[in-house]
Amino acid sequence: MSSDLDRQIEQLKRCEPLKESEVKALCLKAMEILVEESNVQRVDAPVTICGDIHGQFYDMKELFKVGGDCPKTNYLFLGDFVDRGFYSVETFLLLLALKVRYPDRITLIRGNHESRQITQVYGFYDECLRKYGSVNVWRYCTDIFDYLSLSALIENKIFSVHGGLSPAISTLDQIRTIDRKQEVPHDGAMCDLLWSDPEDIVDGWGLSPRGAGFLFGGSVVTSFNHSNNIDYICRAHQLVMEGYKWMFNNQIVTVWSAPNYCYRCGNVAAILELDANLNKQFRVFEAAPQESRGTPAKKPAPDYFL
Amino acid sequence: MFISFYLISLLIGFQRVKVYRLNDEGKWDDQGTGHVSVDYLERSEELGLFVYDEDDNETILLHRISSDDIYRKQEDTIISWRDPEYATELALSFQETSGCSYIWDHICNVQRNMHFNTLNNEPFHSVNSEPRELPAVELSTLPLILKTVVDTGFADQLRLTELILSDQEFFRKLMEVFRMCEDLENIDGLHMIFKIVKGIVLLNSPAIFERIFSDDFIVDIIGALEYDPELPHVQHHRKFLKEHVVFKEAIPIKDPVVLSKIHQTYRVGFLKDVVLARLLDEGIGANLNSIIHSNNAYVVSSLKDDSTFIQELFARLKSPTTTQESKKNLVYFLHEFCSLSKSLQMVQQLRLFRDLMNEGIFDVVTDVLQSQDKKLVLTGTDILILFLNQDPNLLRSYFVRQEGFALLGLLVKGMLTDFEENMHCQFLEILRNLLDSCTLSGSQRDTIIDIFFERHLGQLIEVITSSCPSENTAGESDKSIGPGRSAHCQSRTKPEILSNICELLCFCVLHHPYRIKCNFLLNNVFEKILLLTRRAERYLVVGAVRFVRTILSRHDEHLIKYVIRNNVLKPIIDAFVANGNRYNLLHSAVLELFEFIRKENLKALLKYIVDSFWDQLVKFEYLASIHSLKVKYEQCLDNGGTKDAATVVDLRRRNDERALEKEEERYFNEDSDEEDIASASVPRNQKGHQQPNLSNGVASSYSQLSPRSLVDYEDDEDDEDYKPPPRKQPETSEEDDGVLESLRLKRKLPSKDKEPELVKRQKLSKNSKSKDSVFLCSTLSQATLPSKKTSISFQTSGRIVEGRTGSCENNEGDVQSISRSSSDNSNTAGEDNHIEKEGEGSRNFSDCLHAKSDNIQLGGEDHPLVAPKSSPEMAVNGS
Repeated sequence: MSSDLDRQIEQLKRCEPLKESEVKALCLKAMEILVEESNVQRVDAPVTICGDIHGQFYDMKELFKVGGDCPKTNYLFLGDFVDRGFYSVETFLLLLALKVRYPDRITLIRGNHESRQITQVYGFYDECLRKYGSVNVWRYCTDIFDYLSLSALIENKIFSVHGGLSPAISTLDQIRTIDRKQEVPHDGAMCDLLWSDPEDIVDGWGLSPRGAGFLFGGSVVTSFNHSNNIDYICRAHQLVMEGYKWMFNNQIVTVWSAPNYCYRCGNVAAILELDANLNKQFRVFEAAPQESRGTPAKKPAPDYFL
Repeated sequence: MFISFYLISLLIGFQRVKVYRLNDEGKWDDQGTGHVSVDYLERSEELGLFVYDEDDNETILLHRISSDDIYRKQEDTIISWRDPEYATELALSFQETSGCSYIWDHICNVQRNMHFNTLNNEPFHSVNSEPRELPAVELSTLPLILKTVVDTGFADQLRLTELILSDQEFFRKLMEVFRMCEDLENIDGLHMIFKIVKGIVLLNSPAIFERIFSDDFIVDIIGALEYDPELPHVQHHRKFLKEHVVFKEAIPIKDPVVLSKIHQTYRVGFLKDVVLARLLDEGIGANLNSIIHSNNAYVVSSLKDDSTFIQELFARLKSPTTTQESKKNLVYFLHEFCSLSKSLQMVQQLRLFRDLMNEGIFDVVTDVLQSQDKKLVLTGTDILILFLNQDPNLLRSYFVRQEGFALLGLLVKGMLTDFEENMHCQFLEILRNLLDSCTLSGSQRDTIIDIFFERHLGQLIEVITSSCPSENTAGESDKSIGPGRSAHCQSRTKPEILSNICELLCFCVLHHPYRIKCNFLLNNVFEKILLLTRRAERYLVVGAVRFVRTILSRHDEHLIKYVIRNNVLKPIIDAFVANGNRYNLLHSAVLELFEFIRKENLKALLKYIVDSFWDQLVKFEYLASIHSLKVKYEQCLDNGGTKDAATVVDLRRRNDERALEKEEERYFNEDSDEEDIASASVPRNQKGHQQPNLSNGVASSYSQLSPRSLVDYEDDEDDEDYKPPPRKQPETSEEDDGVLESLRLKRKLPSKDKEPELVKRQKLSKNSKSKDSVFLCSTLSQATLPSKKTSISFQTSGRIVEGRTGSCENNEGDVQSISRSSSDNSNTAGEDNHIEKEGEGSRNFSDCLHAKSDNIQLGGEDHPLVAPKSSPEMAVNGS
């Protein structure tokens, strides 16, 4: 079985999508693994934290070049694997295959794009339809999204989440009682964790311009970190041109791992490496060079009636 | 150049616009009304947007057009952007859509041109050297042509386009040179031709596309695009097209124009998805899509109007002499035909689908679903999904007829069938669509629901009972949860099938609570479904928990009493306890269930749980949820005093005495009474102003038990760890009248069912200010929130969402289907009406603007974290 999986991983690393039947089997295995994870998944250091990928497969390969291969490096991905880039299918399936193959060496948590609704708008749905001729792969993948954990806690000291905090959550223990297996709701704690943003000018909580989640200010972060006895929060969700950005006196950091976002933003990307003593090192990297990208592997159906 | 632009502006008539600027309070300030034009900035080769006041000709706005993707077009009359110089949002609201699209095209052209120049790393030097003519196409003139194409400034692109189009021989000659270079393996020449063709494609001229995509040139054009100097290897697109792509004709198509369009469509799609995938911007992609789209519409409508064609198609499909192989192809053809009909206008598509139905397409599908060929079966289901997306009532109306029974049976069977390698999740989706109470109406409603519940519910339950370890296994120890535990499980049913059944049952609970209720109460269905807790797959155990949670969310006293009397929660508590300290999804799901019971103040359940299971739960008291449950329980006891216990005993006894008798069964079966039951059976937690207005004394006395059994505490909410009321709160109150109840049902359903659109609407209407209703309409019309039911699966529609591309037919389709699928709750959200108002009246003119600051952000945008002023590159919203 694992040799099958290894073969699939090799195939995905070449940016070749799996067959439907393989996706199905992979998703079912992943479901069994993910159902055992916590809403606040414990992660041991050393670990390398990665932000949004957004289907930029070849840039994710750069990421692995910089950060080292899984399982040699222990990874934590903060969600938003799909949408916008050309290779959401391959990107997510590779990460999922790695998860199934090395469940203790890679942690995937959910981003706001890991949702049926959002993926129908921002590309993943269309990509599945185009690459497989039906949306069943999308259905399977989005079912898996429902099982992804909501956050991670590294060595009890670093809280990691895709978006940010929620007014409904003041202690990590309150996340425990979320039944996460559902489409990302439009409000409530689970929604906020995936959608919120820190914001300098906000004092306390503010309405988010995104239409979901909240904006939260420095005082919120200070009291959250204090009451949960954590050093800082690590999150993704927002493009930062330099790849990472500290806010509120180093109490929260944004890590962004999609270089030249949407293939045109001109930003660099970063990952955050933590060693066993939680010493931080940001590794900044750029988009994969054009030559290494190959042509998009969207082979259309070879026959047509109309 | 200045002059020529000025003249264009004059000729077309100045574009009348209002300029808005977003102030610090998030409101749009009106900066004045004037005329907009695109001109060169003073002493610069850069282009800008100018707005001159219509009264005094003062400059209201001067904006350098940015190469960054900061512009948004909305509502056909608004262009907005985050202005790096003003450091705020600016917007132009046009009086006329034509003015808006005119300026929008200019902006896009300017951007493309800038992009173009940076791509080629050459300075923007030739703006003033308007090309007067193209040199004759020869190998030796390629460099000059390339220079002309690549160096052309934005303003000259129109001129260049004209030149290319006026030379009838241009492409023929260029392609001759291409073939020559290819024969001679002249790589430099081929690279130059690649760049020339690429440059011409980037002009994004529909007229040029029409020419180069004609049968004469398209293959050579694809050939020329195989030689991308930036790629290490030559591509082999033509080889693929020639050797791998097969055009199949299920029924011969005679019309040469139709045939030519079919081939062209495939090739243009191939160009877009493969050959040009890396070069395309949204504008070009949209133009290519619109070619594909209109070709599809042409082809489908030609074929559908050819009555002999359709008749022959169905005659062959139904003929017993048709071979299996050709029947398969006919079905695949039929699927593609239905699928492409999305390019038709809504009304036409609906008419086509009706015609197909009358021709007997559902009989064909019924036949197909009985095939041994799994792929063919799935194609059959795909056809059904296309029909459901168009209008679920078409398919439902088929079920009213006797023949339809077989099809429904096959669908249920399909859901229960192991498709091995193939994915078959669409069966669940079809059944859900069919049973969706939000779109059900009239006689179909009763028919399909009757058939489903009478014939198939038991079947589903049966699969569960036969797939789970039976009750008599050796006690608790055997039930401990852990992988491999129930390897001896009797049936081979795949866990994913069980999971689908569980999901469908939850769906039914939400959509057809009363049917479910009488079925469940009569047949011990609860216990049977909860057998899933004995399965080794943890996700099935969690599925069972979620099922109970869904039942309890009904706030139905009968169901709650049943749960208590039959000790329904026992397997769940057992599973939770056996799960121990593992913090996994099962753990969280059960805790969430407890939280729900506590927060909703379901006292009878509280009491039942603590009384029956505290021994088991006490070791988890360190968990806040378990602790709070106990605290809540004790509060109830304190306030309830001694009479409480007695009442509960009383309650249980009475329940036992009169399980469910015929009379009540009949009562439940009557749909007309649904609302009454609802109002009677909903517990009055917190409110306590119950007033059962029932004629049926039985049910009434039932419901009166509840308030007596435990006393209401007005201040229950003051728990030490009580959190602010969740935003879902409304669902727990205002259930007193039936209308609201059923309304609530409709409104709440989608969130459970993961149907996005309705919920999002709710959320929006809740969170936003009143004027944002217009924002809603604008959002919807851009399909920012597509529904699963809409034509989203059509690939071009994805583009619409970005609000700046996509053909309008498409767009319209989305609006319609969204408004259709949401029409059910139009009484709760008046915003539906606004859809019709689009683009009219001055109120809308500005209202949409108020709305827009939210609009761009909706749905998945990744907002820059950096302060607005820091870099213009930040604003990547949207695309």
